[in-house]
Amino acid sequence: MPGSCEAAITLTGDLHARPAGSLAVAAARFQSAVELAVGASTADAKSVLAVMGLGATRGQQITVRAAGPDAAEAVTAMIGILAAATPVGG
Amino acid sequence: MSDEARVGIVLVSHSAALAEGTAEVAGQIGVGSVVIAAAGGTEDGGIGTSIARVREALHKAGASVGVVILPDLGSSVLTVRALLAEEDFPWPVAVADGPFVEGAVAATVAAAAGGDIQAVLRAAEEARHARKL
Repeated sequence: MPGSCEAAITLTGDLHARPAGSLAVAAARFQSAVELAVGASTADAKSVLAVMGLGATRGQQITVRAAGPDAAEAVTAMIGILAAATPVGG
Repeated sequence: MSDEARVGIVLVSHSAALAEGTAEVAGQIGVGSVVIAAAGGTEDGGIGTSIARVREALHKAGASVGVVILPDLGSSVLTVRALLAEEDFPWPVAVADGPFVEGAVAATVAAAAGGDIQAVLRAAEEARHARKL
């Protein structure tokens, strides 16, 4: 039964290339569609270039939305990676 | 996950520094699990491309699940084509028509995520549509 799930987190570090890569690699493991939203911009979490294109920085709120059979697990994984993004980034 | 075979990536550039630097950036973003081999410059260290360097890189990145080659411009493509026309490799090889840096990054992430050769090729080619601003 497909479901949807959403959670938000305030970034403690900039969403640089390295965390963007980690997000995209992790997102690809889920069947669900996974979207990141910052302000009015959204990105497919499975596309590293789209995630980098968000240009999300420390202090911004980022929302993770997933829809599909493993939506809850996908959101948990994304929030975990976002929470670990360090202020210096990479 | 780490013992799963990953598609390898070969970056072919006119400049050794460009190929190696791009491999370095893509490697950082791809979480380090993908073999990215740089084939840049001529054999005497000049600007240009070398069949021998591409061959060497292909063997370095060779994986049972395949290798995706990303050339930068012009004669990089010709050099890759010349090598593939004269030699067979024991794994599938695909040549990507995509932007060099963005394509390398997107392909590396697709490979790190366990994508097959078609998925990695598609990621490199679709990188042309990504906006950076």
